[in-house]
Amino acid sequence: MAKTAPEASHQRRNFFYLFFILLIIWLALTSSFHWQEFSVGILLSLILSLILSKNYLKLGLPPISLKRIAFSIAFTIVLFIEIVKANLDVAYRVIHPKMPIKPGIVVIKTTLKQDIAKMILANSITLTPGTFTLDILGDTLLIHWINVQSENMDEATKIIGERFEKYLRVIFS
Amino acid sequence: MRAIISLFLISVLAWGIATALNEIPFGAAKTKVGEYYIGRGKEQTGASNIVTSVVVNYRGFDTLGEVTVLFVAAIGLGAVLATRRKKEKRDVEPASLVLYTGCRLLFPLILLFGAYIFIHGHLTPGGGFQGGAVVASAFVLVYLGCRGRRISETASKTVESLGGLVFIVVGLVGLAVGGGYFLSNYLPKGELNSLFSAGIIPIIYIAIGFKVGSELAGVIDHLVEESE
Repeated sequence: MAKTAPEASHQRRNFFYLFFILLIIWLALTSSFHWQEFSVGILLSLILSLILSKNYLKLGLPPISLKRIAFSIAFTIVLFIEIVKANLDVAYRVIHPKMPIKPGIVVIKTTLKQDIAKMILANSITLTPGTFTLDILGDTLLIHWINVQSENMDEATKIIGERFEKYLRVIFS
Repeated sequence: MRAIISLFLISVLAWGIATALNEIPFGAAKTKVGEYYIGRGKEQTGASNIVTSVVVNYRGFDTLGEVTVLFVAAIGLGAVLATRRKKEKRDVEPASLVLYTGCRLLFPLILLFGAYIFIHGHLTPGGGFQGGAVVASAFVLVYLGCRGRRISETASKTVESLGGLVFIVVGLVGLAVGGGYFLSNYLPKGELNSLFSAGIIPIIYIAIGFKVGSELAGVIDHLVEESE
């Protein structure tokens, strides 16, 4: 079966993604560069990525570039800061005698297209306490919010999603 | 009156337990065989994990029995559930995008982790059974996240049979060329603590890993069929 050129390059890219992810995990698990460990790791990663890289095709992983790596690192830092901030906020709400919460479910929009980008956004929102992704329907996310500040979709998108999405848009553009 | 009887019964019980515990020397070896394994295990089997050297080498025959028990359990479950299998395909509600994507992303990584556990059975805690269970958990994730996807029954049966076959053939070869007993460790022991060491132990644990993984995946497959 003849494949078009971009499709073949996508496949090759996903193969290398999976191969290197597996190899890095293998090295982290064995924590050794001994040739025996290393060769078995390469062999296993090769077999697994040959069989399973077509699963990664639909994820929509972007080509690798310096800008994307830089933004991924920035995203990780921002995510960490947001998690700490949200933890303190929720802790304050729990400890406060009046318990100033206003729980509710809001809908926010996303412009991200790839499955993996949506998943990272949803998981980032879930990881920050106070907000929780219930489901993703098309380009909208259902969010349970401990303190609903706005029921308006655009405003809610700005408060909840935008802080992560501006990085993800660059990474997955 | 009842209180006195209870007190009496409890003190009898306490006395019994105390005398029984007193008989067991604390910290001393209770059996000679344990001391033998600890003292000679490393040089005799080449495995730095003593538990593995006992499970696969000294007590390899027992392990064959355990594998058989699991096999019979899986067959039995298949026999019970297969008679009530519904043939028609029901429409299943697709999983949410987060689960679906996460499942596709993590599936190869979980398989690698399972393989790591059963390949390193002779060096680190874990082994064929644990690694096989991890591999099967990857298939649980597939059933949760990618509903409607099925593992092929023929493939799982083939892998399972091959795993069992490797175990038995390696053991029988030991009967022929090795020390003249089932599962004798006839391959070179290698350097202690390196991956290619301990002779036949890693080979058998890899076989067990494949066997247990495919067996448990088959069990899950039957249960999913039943619940649908």
